[in-house]
Amino acid sequence: MSKLLKKALKISLAPAILMIAGKAIGIILPTVIYDLEFFIENDIEGFTSIQIVFTDSNVTLFVNSISNLTMLLFLAVPTFYFIIKTSLYQTTLQNPRTLVKVTRFNLLKWITRKDVTFLHIFIWTTFLTIASIIAITHTLQGQTYTWIGVGAGVTSLLSVWGTIKTFELETDKIYPKENSYY
Amino acid sequence: MGKKEEFKKTFSQILEPFALGLLALFFILPIVTVMNLTPITRQIKKIDVLGVTTQDELVIRLVAGQHEIFSGENLTKIDETEYSYSARIGKRGADSYSKPILEIQNNTEEKKVLTFWGQTLSNTRSKIYLQEKEIPYLLQDNTGETYEQKISILPSEKLIIFLALENLSGVQFSELFDMTITIE
Repeated sequence: MSKLLKKALKISLAPAILMIAGKAIGIILPTVIYDLEFFIENDIEGFTSIQIVFTDSNVTLFVNSISNLTMLLFLAVPTFYFIIKTSLYQTTLQNPRTLVKVTRFNLLKWITRKDVTFLHIFIWTTFLTIASIIAITHTLQGQTYTWIGVGAGVTSLLSVWGTIKTFELETDKIYPKENSYY
Repeated sequence: MGKKEEFKKTFSQILEPFALGLLALFFILPIVTVMNLTPITRQIKKIDVLGVTTQDELVIRLVAGQHEIFSGENLTKIDETEYSYSARIGKRGADSYSKPILEIQNNTEEKKVLTFWGQTLSNTRSKIYLQEKEIPYLLQDNTGETYEQKISILPSEKLIIFLALENLSGVQFSELFDMTITIE
């Protein structure tokens, strides 16, 4: 088995678990806090076999919105942390001014060890994009607040842009931009 | 040693497609789980069958079921003579749509008259009406004006009420429809 595949399997586990956990916590928390009435059905309808059912459509909209928001936050926070960390790491290598800024903001820990690879960022961004697509679909179906759908779209676009920038930084190491290197 | 390495290499080659499948599962399983965890709206059966406990009553049931335009239906009994129905009307193209929403059964010995009054919160130039045996009962016209409608139900009669709407132009957002049902 190739090393890339092994690593991809290892990295994918955390966002997969966090995606499910985020959705589940986002349903449990508002249900418990606001003491909402719900029941569980197990009719086979299309993709789904278990349904969490609320008796009021406004409650369903609220709970689904919160659960989508939690799922997105669970994935977006680590993704942007990885993107910023890698960008800082690469930029400080080329630009001493960034190093000074990083020191001023007490973020030196972020650039002393390169433990985040491009594969990390790519996989996390893929999961974030999938979660965003789900949130946007729910928004279009009227099952989630509009601002969450818009936020999901923006977050997804930003993460994809960040991933492309990181990819450029990584490729710069192999094929430097300066012509003198060739 | 050479044989061992060769065996290891062959074994890892066999294992590779399974690992790829596992990687795909890591992406597919969370999607399916999240879809499963998405909550839906439905009435609990005991609420759904309003008034069924007493045989000589007017029974109003929610037909429910899935529809591409009408979703999130809710029927609530406010008191013995008043019910509240609500539904979300999704974004739609210029067309006519209808869905069976209520099943009404008169288990009493006398004729009953039901009054319907419903409206949407925003005016989307949609004509909204109830339909029973091909007879339309206009609730809200294109200008947003609302009309009260009465439907009679004979003893032991069962009616299926449809909610219908007509749009001359497409509507790009969903809206809430609320209706009050009063038994006279």
